[in-house]
Amino acid sequence: MLTLNAVGRRFGALWAVRDVTFAVERGEIVGIIGPNGAGKSTLFNLIAGAISPSRGDIRFLDHTITRAKPYQVARLGLARTFQIPKPFKQLTVRENVMLSALRRHGTRRRADEVAERTLEFAAIRHLAETPVTNLTVGLLKKLEVARALATEPSLLLLDEVMAGLTPTEIRELMAAIATLPQRGITVLWVEHVMMAIMNVAHRLIVMHQGRTIAEGPPATVAKDPTVIGAYLGETYAHASRV
Amino acid sequence: MAALTTGTAAAGTGPSFSAAPRRGAVSIVEVAVLSGCVVAATLIANRYAADIMIRTFLWAGLALAWNIAGGYAGLISFGHAAFFGIGAYTSTILLLRYGVPPWLGLLAGALLAAGAGGVLTVVCARLRGPFFILSTLAAGEVMRIAALNWQSLTGGAEGLEIPPLPSAAHMVFQNQPPYLALMLGYMVVLFVLANAIEQSRYGYYLFAVRDDEDGASAIGINPLLVRVSAMALSAALTAIGGTLFAQYFLYLDPTHIVSPDISFEFALISAVGGLGTASGPLLGALIIVPLSELLRGSLSQSASGLHLVIYGVIVVVVMIYFPSGISGAIARAWSALARKAAARRVAKKTA
Repeated sequence: MLTLNAVGRRFGALWAVRDVTFAVERGEIVGIIGPNGAGKSTLFNLIAGAISPSRGDIRFLDHTITRAKPYQVARLGLARTFQIPKPFKQLTVRENVMLSALRRHGTRRRADEVAERTLEFAAIRHLAETPVTNLTVGLLKKLEVARALATEPSLLLLDEVMAGLTPTEIRELMAAIATLPQRGITVLWVEHVMMAIMNVAHRLIVMHQGRTIAEGPPATVAKDPTVIGAYLGETYAHASRV
Repeated sequence: MAALTTGTAAAGTGPSFSAAPRRGAVSIVEVAVLSGCVVAATLIANRYAADIMIRTFLWAGLALAWNIAGGYAGLISFGHAAFFGIGAYTSTILLLRYGVPPWLGLLAGALLAAGAGGVLTVVCARLRGPFFILSTLAAGEVMRIAALNWQSLTGGAEGLEIPPLPSAAHMVFQNQPPYLALMLGYMVVLFVLANAIEQSRYGYYLFAVRDDEDGASAIGINPLLVRVSAMALSAALTAIGGTLFAQYFLYLDPTHIVSPDISFEFALISAVGGLGTASGPLLGALIIVPLSELLRGSLSQSASGLHLVIYGVIVVVVMIYFPSGISGAIARAWSALARKAAARRVAKKTA
């Protein structure tokens, strides 16, 4: 449902993402991992339309979204979260989530119904009337996920949603994410919390220095010498072979 | 002011109706204040008081118009005098040259101002915060200088005069009551419209773009379209106020009409009253405009200029102690009272 074909993005002399090709199929949970600076966030912003590729093309469902703007991509059913949450600060938690559903449903009443279900799913319904300025980082992350889900997307891009959460919150959110494919939502997920992504993702894509260096089921990828090398340096990669 | 206290004392709830002022609902306070205005406008006999009331109603409507861009969409503008001027000049020029009734002229002015506001926002699309504000200020000044120098059209510094010949078709009246009704109508329509926006899908798009543009974009909202349309709507409604102003004073000149002072007043009234709610500009204007007029009237003989100092001090005090404005302060006081009452009820039950 999402296809990247030889996508590259240059910032000045540096190729932050180069020649990335992969596809995400309907119903999958695909994780993207890699060390800091591997190009994961840039890749995300390319897919979501926040920046445009210097080369290559991106397709989503039946549309070419290579040069589409973020709001156009969102309207096609591709929702994203932000690594640094971007809530609507002067509104309540409920209004924040309701707003996501408002474009599709037209009236506040119907959008509120979607918001209600989504708040329940994200386990923040008890905070519905709270102003978002009172939320902790962990709760803001949950709100990010709820806001993205309330647009009722077919593909959800998650950008490091586990960062800042307590172990209990991580386990809850892992369980919630694992159920998304049953709800018709495909997931593409960048994450640094390995325990979470290793256990939930069906497939991992590993990035290093702007390239994809490995791809496959989490268990296989974790044993891949190139992957270990990328994370820990060549010495460890050789050691693991022994 | 009396209306405010009786308003908060009475309780009443329902969907999109609340006791204290809040966003997205009409409160008892606003209903009381608006009814008070209607009653006062029908009973008033004193010419001076009626004049203050006419200005107050007009300025309340103008602040409500400003608040659509400045409060709801976060497009703080110090250049709205340009739109005010476009409205005043367009209808007046059409009337003087072609005999077009201002009732139609105000529509022409509104359309022209909407176009100007839209273009300004597109041109300044990449500017945020102080940079956007400064560019609106500059746009206002450009309009003032253009009005001063385009003498063949605007009469330059000498200004334009509308012949004081009473005629309902030409929106010129001999007595004050029709003007009172006109300005009151403008204020009420703007208030109702602002409230409708707050409760609508479009209103929520404005809040979203104001609070986080990237976040708004990520849920499918086109931020540029929202910003441009908010500014165009705000400009058009401001221009209508400009026409009403011209028809009341029957004289326009660039220094008074297209002056930054006018733009600041719209912004100040909204900020003192409370940004981003319909009750804010309404309460702000009803308090600030009469206050500044009365101060000017009572002090201009003895200590000329002192009224501006006092006015300034009041504005500063309100901004420091009530950052969410008068409307926000009333809302907070009301919820504190409600909490106390609830606590008393609980105490009684447990006792």
